[in-house]
Amino acid sequence: MTIENPASSPEPSSMTAPGLVRRLAVHAMMILLSVLSIFPIYWMIVTSLRPANEIFSTALWPASPTLENYAFVLTRIPMLQMLLNTAVVAAFTAGLQVVTGMLAAYALVRWRMRLSGVVHGLIALSWLVPFQVTMIPNYVLASQLGLLDTLTGLIIPNAAHAFAVLMLYHGMRSFPSEILEAARIDGARSWKILWQIVVPNMGAPIASLSIIAFISAWNEYFWPLLLSRKPENSVVQIGLQMFMTQEGNLWGPLMAAACLASLPILVVYLVLQRHVIESFMKSGIR
Amino acid sequence: MLRRTSLKLLTALAGSLLVPFGALADMAATIDKPVTITFYNYNLASASAGADATKELIAGFEKKFPNVKVEPIAVPSNEIMSRVQADIVAGRQPDVAQLVFRDLIYLATDLGANALEDMVKPAELKDHLAGMIPNGLELGKVDGKTYGLAYTFSTPIMFYNADLFRQAGLDPDQPPKTWADVAAAAKAINEKTGKNGFFPGAYGPADGTFVYQSIVMSNGGKVRDGNKLTFADSNAAEAVKMLHDMVVSGAHAKIDPASASDTFAGGNMGMFLYTSALLSSLKKSAAGKFDLRLAAMPSFGSKPTAPTNSGSALFVFSKDPLKQRASYELLKYLTSREAYTIITSKIGYLPLRLDIVDDPNYLGGWVKENPMFRANLEQLNRLTANMAFPGANYRQVEKMMMDAVREAVFGNGDPIAVLKTAQEQAQDLMP
Repeated sequence: MTIENPASSPEPSSMTAPGLVRRLAVHAMMILLSVLSIFPIYWMIVTSLRPANEIFSTALWPASPTLENYAFVLTRIPMLQMLLNTAVVAAFTAGLQVVTGMLAAYALVRWRMRLSGVVHGLIALSWLVPFQVTMIPNYVLASQLGLLDTLTGLIIPNAAHAFAVLMLYHGMRSFPSEILEAARIDGARSWKILWQIVVPNMGAPIASLSIIAFISAWNEYFWPLLLSRKPENSVVQIGLQMFMTQEGNLWGPLMAAACLASLPILVVYLVLQRHVIESFMKSGIR
Repeated sequence: MLRRTSLKLLTALAGSLLVPFGALADMAATIDKPVTITFYNYNLASASAGADATKELIAGFEKKFPNVKVEPIAVPSNEIMSRVQADIVAGRQPDVAQLVFRDLIYLATDLGANALEDMVKPAELKDHLAGMIPNGLELGKVDGKTYGLAYTFSTPIMFYNADLFRQAGLDPDQPPKTWADVAAAAKAINEKTGKNGFFPGAYGPADGTFVYQSIVMSNGGKVRDGNKLTFADSNAAEAVKMLHDMVVSGAHAKIDPASASDTFAGGNMGMFLYTSALLSSLKKSAAGKFDLRLAAMPSFGSKPTAPTNSGSALFVFSKDPLKQRASYELLKYLTSREAYTIITSKIGYLPLRLDIVDDPNYLGGWVKENPMFRANLEQLNRLTANMAFPGANYRQVEKMMMDAVREAVFGNGDPIAVLKTAQEQAQDLMP
């Protein structure tokens, strides 16, 4: 994606030599940065195609490319089941974070309550609590509720998140209050106002939050590590870890698994490229 | 850092929530009704040969004991201790767990692992332990009682790249026997080939302390004597100083310790001292690329080496008499001749029973096909127990020691002074 300011871009015909040099330098820098960004992904793909005795080769392309690492991944661990589990967990987590975030943000923005500032502050502060502090109490509770080794157990603790509330809170604050007042005068109640007026007009922040929450849930490692007891009930990040063993790291299969794990996120990027970039630019990279 | 924080939390929670561990009930004599036991295992959490071998072992056990169902709990090795603690806190008492030796004392004194001598009748225990290497049985003992039964373990072995030896004008059929030989050969490799000469897998992050302790003990040193730390005392410190001198001379590579095995596997290092468990993966990397060979770990002059153990032991936590019997039967099966044949031939760990090595019904055929494994087997005669640290701060003490060793070996300061400072500070954390 290129961002140009038409007012400041000189016409090619009128471009001066120093201007041309500057522009070439900028493009050269951008090309270099693009190569640096893309190279690790290229190396991951190339390594996934190398046989075991070529794994440490520095050649840009394997002498005898093979798909044996992919076959190894698909036969040695339940990779497809893990990908499906991850997709389910990520989709439900993102959806629930949008719903709970929307409800909380609406309440904080639209209802005048005593101590609403304190509540807002506490929600913001909860974002700062490290996962390691809450993981054991969460684990004990999940165990008591019979949620160990289940996808439900992976989703529920992440169904609400301070980041989602704060992001939607800021989006909702900029929503024109006149429209809400008009709806109220027409007899609409909060539930109807929220879902029929506010939500359809908050497409951009909801899309941003959904994308960020989905990617974040897709990359989640610690909680599934603690909760899962069998590989077939776990997620793809745990699957990747299975190739780092006491008997040596299996780099070829690990890179093949990483390619497979990256594919869905890559598709999200390709389809929603503009939204993804805007999401990260608006919210800061999580 | 995060793991350490988690461990501290778990320790505190475990300490406050665990029920007192009372005397063990009498273990049931037989398994007369169906029972399910949990088996926390880190091999199963990998996609390596260790997972296949473990599945084969569990299937064999369930076939032999149809009344027992083993519920495997697969957890990566660096997280399995945290999981055992978390489950104890959550009221899910594990039955059998494969855990590493560094946690041995803590498991025995704080987490309620069962001592086999308290759980099993003496005659029955003696019967099963007969034929096992006495030194191997010492690995899992605390105050004379067996809390961990050595399971998948190995000793440090010298992997070397015979091609680099030839290029450096060295004879690959005469691998270095002493540390002086290693230093000379490594320097020659470094100078004549431009590749790294030597590196021991002794500085973390995944190896614990077993290679470091093997080097120290081979020089007559120890990391502690009772509750007194001794890793900065004469023989132990001299061993570290020897490594530092090798770094200064260029014989010892200066690379990221986490990348040492990959550097060797890539053909960029002459010698690599590490666990034989890596043999299978190194053989695959070396195939068609370089001539991979094995030698025994080097000695300090004429002093005998003291190879200590890496790997894991099996611990029983069951409190229910029937589950104790099922757990003990699983332990017996996993340390039987049949099981060690699978563990050694399919994963690459050492057998705790030497009588199977040349027996054609067990490992005989495999050892003939893999003669390079002999170097590791011969070290079993001098197997020396890796020393775990006691007390609630055992992991912090271990970390302070290993941080100091890294600084002493790779830093510019006086290695012995660095070790002494760390030892004084760490001593305050000992019980």
